[in-house]
Amino acid sequence: MKNMLNILARRSFQASRMRNLIAVLAIMLTSILFTTVTTIGIGATESVTLTMQMLKGSRSDGDFHNMTAKQYKALEDADFIRAYGLRMPIGFLTNTSYHNIEFDVLDSVQADLTFCMPVHGSIPKAENEIVTSDTALRDLGVEPEVGATVSIAFTAHGQNYQLDMVVSGWFEATSEQLSMMWAGTAFRDAHPDIFEYTYDQDRDMAGTYYSDFIATSTVGLQENLDHWIWQMGGDPDATNSDNLSATINTITNPTLKPTTLLLGAVIIVLFILCGYLLIYNVFDIAVMQEIRRYGLYRTVGMSKRQVKKLINQQALWLSCIAIPLGLLIGYFIGKITLPYMVNMLSSSYENVAIHVNPSPVIFVGASVLTAFTILLSTKKPIRVAANIPPIEAFRYVEAATSKKTIKKSTMGTSLLGLAWSNLGRNKRRSAFIIASLALCIVLLNSVGIAADSVDIEKQVSYSIRTDFVVVNAVSKNIMKGFTRREHGLGQKVIEAINTQPGVNNASAIYKNTLDDSYITYNFPVEFTYTGTDENTGIGYAVTEGGIVFNLGDDGHPICNVYGMEEIALARMDIQEGETDAHKLYRQMENGEGVLLGVASDMGTSILNPAFDLLEVGDIISVFKDGEAIMELPVLAKAALNGDDEEIRYTTHGPFEVGKDGLFLYLPTSIYTQIYDEPAIYKYSFDVEEKQQETIHAFLENYITNVDPRLSYASAKEARQDAMTTRTMLQFVGGLIGIIFGAAGVLNLVNTIITTILARRHEFATMQSIGMTTKQLTRMMIWESVYYAVGACMVGLILSVILAFTIVKTLTGGIWFFTFHFTLVPAIIVCILLLMVAAILPVIALKIFNKGSMVEKLRVTE
Amino acid sequence: MMDIVTIQHLKKFFKDGPQIVKALDGIDLSIEKGKFTVIVGASGSGKTTLLNMIAGLYQPTEGNVIVDGVDLSQMKEEQLTVFRRRKIGFVFQGYNLIPELTIKENIIFPLALDDTRPDTAYFSNLVHLLGLCHYLDAYPYMLSGGAQQCAAIARALITKPSIVLADEPTGSFDIKTTQNVAGLLKMTAATFHQTLVVITHNLDLAQLADRIVRLQDGKIV
Repeated sequence: MKNMLNILARRSFQASRMRNLIAVLAIMLTSILFTTVTTIGIGATESVTLTMQMLKGSRSDGDFHNMTAKQYKALEDADFIRAYGLRMPIGFLTNTSYHNIEFDVLDSVQADLTFCMPVHGSIPKAENEIVTSDTALRDLGVEPEVGATVSIAFTAHGQNYQLDMVVSGWFEATSEQLSMMWAGTAFRDAHPDIFEYTYDQDRDMAGTYYSDFIATSTVGLQENLDHWIWQMGGDPDATNSDNLSATINTITNPTLKPTTLLLGAVIIVLFILCGYLLIYNVFDIAVMQEIRRYGLYRTVGMSKRQVKKLINQQALWLSCIAIPLGLLIGYFIGKITLPYMVNMLSSSYENVAIHVNPSPVIFVGASVLTAFTILLSTKKPIRVAANIPPIEAFRYVEAATSKKTIKKSTMGTSLLGLAWSNLGRNKRRSAFIIASLALCIVLLNSVGIAADSVDIEKQVSYSIRTDFVVVNAVSKNIMKGFTRREHGLGQKVIEAINTQPGVNNASAIYKNTLDDSYITYNFPVEFTYTGTDENTGIGYAVTEGGIVFNLGDDGHPICNVYGMEEIALARMDIQEGETDAHKLYRQMENGEGVLLGVASDMGTSILNPAFDLLEVGDIISVFKDGEAIMELPVLAKAALNGDDEEIRYTTHGPFEVGKDGLFLYLPTSIYTQIYDEPAIYKYSFDVEEKQQETIHAFLENYITNVDPRLSYASAKEARQDAMTTRTMLQFVGGLIGIIFGAAGVLNLVNTIITTILARRHEFATMQSIGMTTKQLTRMMIWESVYYAVGACMVGLILSVILAFTIVKTLTGGIWFFTFHFTLVPAIIVCILLLMVAAILPVIALKIFNKGSMVEKLRVTE
Repeated sequence: MMDIVTIQHLKKFFKDGPQIVKALDGIDLSIEKGKFTVIVGASGSGKTTLLNMIAGLYQPTEGNVIVDGVDLSQMKEEQLTVFRRRKIGFVFQGYNLIPELTIKENIIFPLALDDTRPDTAYFSNLVHLLGLCHYLDAYPYMLSGGAQQCAAIARALITKPSIVLADEPTGSFDIKTTQNVAGLLKMTAATFHQTLVVITHNLDLAQLADRIVRLQDGKIV
């Protein structure tokens, strides 16, 4: 007998097709929302983690450094380690051109943990076999091919080695900058001289042991590592330890930031709210439609618990249909969306690896969130259904539920008035529909403002001041940069560029290098500490504020010194002193002074006080081979951007040469007078609009066929990067907005359809006393449009409030945003909503108000 | 013969805006077990309210309703639900059969809610008497109004209730069907020794009753 309830549940479920369809759509939309966001969230996190792991070169939980052979062997007994690899560093190859290649001995575990396993060929077995990347092989002049012979050169223990090795396998490079080349332990055994342990005497890493590991558990890992190091005679608390140390891979095991958690929580709450507004309304309407039925059940003896069970069972079936559909659709939307999302990160992480698998976490997470939303949303309608007193159920008509005093309509008996008064039949439902539609307007407008506030030109002008910049490829290498005279551009490429049509405002820009350490500068800044870099042998000095200067041959700072034409100087952001670029350049040409560049805030271009060490008028003395040759007062100060330092966001070169400062800008004539062998580090120029593509093609061809050591950056490329952010915001925000919008429209559809079904008798009555079908349609249109108008008003007001509070604050915190208020997205959505609201009742009446008037008059409440 | 229903000083008032409507205004009534009682009166006289009070669907403003020895005003809602399920059978003017269930399922539905099985002999007897033998697997919409009302009567009687309450059970029928349904209602009630309380405007039906209670302005006259 128990299954009588199941039979009833099943049959009434089968009978309520329209309700089921709408409920399935509602639950599915909620499930899509959660799955899409979970897929994007997890996929983006995994992709970025994988990318960062690839950039770091390890997917391990951590690694040990500078171990002796004995310490490495002791890892066997460390029970907190599940797997560990072997890495014996040798050093960087010295015979590379543009790619950095580190040569080490690895075992297969280490190779696997550090993305070095060969994709083509096999791991090295013989002593002369190596594995490396295609980019590395090409840089060494060899096409990636198993069995190819490649010459390598490196230094270990002060001795230069040159060996011919055989490629046993290779893989596609994950970084343009750096690759690993590795040999097996047979190489170590064949070259004991290279692997002699002398680290404790000369800090030579050849002979030391490194190891990446996977922990048995990451809980308490730091304590385990510290304990092990103590056991091995090391000191985990020693800062900058040169000896045995271990670090946790924070990319694999990141610490969750409270702000990230808060943002995630806000998004989840927002989506639960959207799902709630939708599902609650669907079930609320369904219960109200079935109120007489529940009353009957209660009258014949069904308990509240049984009513709840009956509805819960149907909600469960609806969920079982809708959630899997939503999960699948959401997953594919997420998977399609993810590359757009991750592309935004490509300015931060090059070659982002898109990584998303149908992980159980995505489906379980989204299912749990959807189920929670359904439980939350159906709780009240189910309680209402269960609490229906039998007698009330038999008397129920929606208008009679209000116990408030009936007010006289101020709108009379016009169609507008009737439509308006109909909204008041269920104020809560009207409020929910308006809220869900308004949410869509607010969200889309906020995303629109954010996308509009992405300041493309701000990003472009920060990273490049001309249409094109041609440099040596090292200037794009984050580990190298322009540091040597040999990196300078030759006249050949400059002449070739100048012959191209449409090129104008061209200027060669000179910069000093580490080879120019005989030219130094002295200025009124006090140093509190001086020392010598052990690796480079270059002296350095540090101010009290921690600003570091590399020192030249005579002990004065080398600085970062640039020479340029007036046209290039005029493009700089001169803020203090002589701000007229022409006058300034003339004075500088006359040897009257120098332009000082100061690091600035990316967003506001305000000079950073920490680096603003000199005042206009301060004297800078120029020394050549230790002798003062010139005195240059500071004539003006300019705010530096990426282009002023090196190229776009790469600033490694200046850091290697002059460290933090100073940045001095001279006219070409003075620069070439001071430096005996001036090197051109870049050639900047503009190009007429119609010739842009021609120049792109010319440069591509020149770099491929004439001088592969060159590279270039363009404003177009910078603009495209910046546009990706805007596109991503529009795409992802728009997608979420559309889902919210669909939820609101579905609510409206549901309400209009159920209104028509529930009021067929009422409509027939009105028509029987003279209301035409046209008038009925108009009344329903007005009713529907009132919802949309309400949503539009609330949405527009909230959009304005949110724009000037949350959106303004959020965009203000990111340097490449410039707050730009707009209501265009909201207005477009409002127009669309009004159109949908006007069309919907016409269609709904045609479909759901069929039948003769007599039939409809027979329909009783 | 003992009383199955005892009503003492029963008052039921409703608020209608600022006004108070006295639906029942001091009713004292006893209904004997096994008897067929008809309540008659003009529209608004309080007939349906009185029936609903006997069913425990309304709480009294004043007074008591005692059904089968139980004071309904002392019971909680869930207790009342179970009480109704076991002790009271309902027959409505609009039948109120559940459209998704077959006639057989509709009849045994109150038992199913109580997790009990029907007395097979009683069930067979009941459907035989009401002429439903051939319609047990049919759905309500397949049956005539009269047959549907017979199914509703069977449903009301299946739990062997202490009392069967019927609100205008023949209200929507023609004369012939009214006579059939009224006859069947009285016959089954008599066969199974049920107490029957019926509200009706139909004098033919009223004449079948053992007792007629006339209401006017919420009072028995």
